[in-house]
Amino acid sequence: MSVPRGAVHAKWIVGRVIGTKMQKTAKVRVTRLVLDPYLLKFFNKRKTYFAHDPLQQCVVGDIVLLKALPERRSKHVKHELAEIVFKVGNVIDPITGKPCAGTRFLENLADSENLTEADTTYLSEKLQELKVCSTDK
Amino acid sequence: MAMKGRFPIRRTLQYLNQGDIIFKNSVKVMTVNYNTAGELSEGARKFVFFNIPQIQYKNPWVQIMLFKNMTPSPFLRFYLDNGEQVLVDVEEKTNKEIAEHVKKILGKSKETLEKEEREKKKLSHPANFGHKKYHLRECMCEIEGQVPCPGFVPLPKEMRGKYKAAMKNEA
Repeated sequence: MSVPRGAVHAKWIVGRVIGTKMQKTAKVRVTRLVLDPYLLKFFNKRKTYFAHDPLQQCVVGDIVLLKALPERRSKHVKHELAEIVFKVGNVIDPITGKPCAGTRFLENLADSENLTEADTTYLSEKLQELKVCSTDK
Repeated sequence: MAMKGRFPIRRTLQYLNQGDIIFKNSVKVMTVNYNTAGELSEGARKFVFFNIPQIQYKNPWVQIMLFKNMTPSPFLRFYLDNGEQVLVDVEEKTNKEIAEHVKKILGKSKETLEKEEREKKKLSHPANFGHKKYHLRECMCEIEGQVPCPGFVPLPKEMRGKYKAAMKNEA
């Protein structure tokens, strides 16, 4: 009777990292849609899992794919980090492959051609403020 | 006495049962990234609003996660059991098109569903009697034309064990 990955019921999960204070372990919150029997509406139900993260590359807020381990690693750790789906602050749009934030692409921001007038005035103001501060010191 | 909410029909069992996307056993997680504004995500928004409850009702063991306003382009992502990921671009598609596409690529076909139903039927034999949960009938007395239940109609004297024993003792 072989149980290749049978220690846990959930083989693959996607969740959000909520804590990295443990060494080589990430605390991941996973939400599933559960039907309320009276309202017949789906609500998010949370559950926290602990995942083994040997390189400690997770930051709080990452969206992460976890894979179930064949055997339990410790009392609570039954999963390991398979891949970081979206890194917080560094989201890459999988369709185009470009970095983005919210509904905007971040690639083109550095080009001076695409800056609007409001942007240029804002930046020049900021530069002046910095110049003033540096002379004060 | 109408139901509450914008499209309360989504919260009826009849609507939920009408969902015809049943995922293959290898699909474990479904992720939907969409935006709350913009015409490109309109189809995705409708898909999330109307079709996700049906999908989750029919596939209770698939984890569905929704992400809003993370990337400019809307897409669906499926994580399969063998580590494979399926990316579905959903930009400028109506919710019906999305649902049909998903059904075509990752849904169980009609033949598989029928096969599974037949296999299930094979396990339970209709001629067996037992608890209502597992069998059709509990007792022979339920069937028309058979001896009625002695709980409701007393048996004729000749069938009662008391009478039979008395006759035996006499003889």
